[in-house]
Amino acid sequence: MIDIEPIPWEEMVAHAEATYPNECCGAMLGSIDGDRKTVRAALRLDNAAAGSQQAYYELRPEDLLRADRQARDRKMDLIGIYHSHPDCDAYFSQTDLKNSCPWYSFVVLSIHKGRFDHANSWLPNAEQTAAEKEELKWQKS
Amino acid sequence: MAKVLIPTPLRQYAGKQDTVELKGATVGEVLSGLTSQFGDLKKHLYNDEGKLRSYVNVYLNDEDIRYLDKEASAVKESDTISIVPSIAGGTEAGGAAWN
Repeated sequence: MIDIEPIPWEEMVAHAEATYPNECCGAMLGSIDGDRKTVRAALRLDNAAAGSQQAYYELRPEDLLRADRQARDRKMDLIGIYHSHPDCDAYFSQTDLKNSCPWYSFVVLSIHKGRFDHANSWLPNAEQTAAEKEELKWQKS
Repeated sequence: MAKVLIPTPLRQYAGKQDTVELKGATVGEVLSGLTSQFGDLKKHLYNDEGKLRSYVNVYLNDEDIRYLDKEASAVKESDTISIVPSIAGGTEAGGAAWN
């Protein structure tokens, strides 16, 4: 289960809505206690995809490295990645799957006509052939 | 000894350590030492053919080893090795797009 605290949740939604109609992406920092993950900070990262970003995102590994260092400095862990699906369901697409990494939770925010609609969290497998839905909770302030 | 920074989800396979110090003259030697010491890490970093998984990048300090000498990149005692995934995605190809 992944639980997102109010400040990072509002940051993620604001990022996704501001980036519409393009896809946004970022890192989630927090802590892990057994099967429970708590997101305590969200970091906006650049969408480095070449060409149209309306249906594609790409994270630079250097940015993830910096996010991991920031997590360590703040005594947190890098526990997940978020991105948006503009005018599209919060499913885990084949493109998401083929470019995923099984180490992290992947939160997808569905943005409909510029406004947040719904979200899901996914756990891809190591072979990048399937992703399991993870229970997702978020808190509003 | 060089430091290897372990990503959070892999720490459970590395004795719950966030950093492991290892000897080795090259990145390959250090990673080999890491997976010898922590056997469960190997399948998370390497595929069945013994190659780094497609989504695994290795950085020597701030440099991607693909742009150095790959796993033959020389390592100094003060160096830090980071394991960083490749991540991308998108809605194209068969998505349930709304109008």
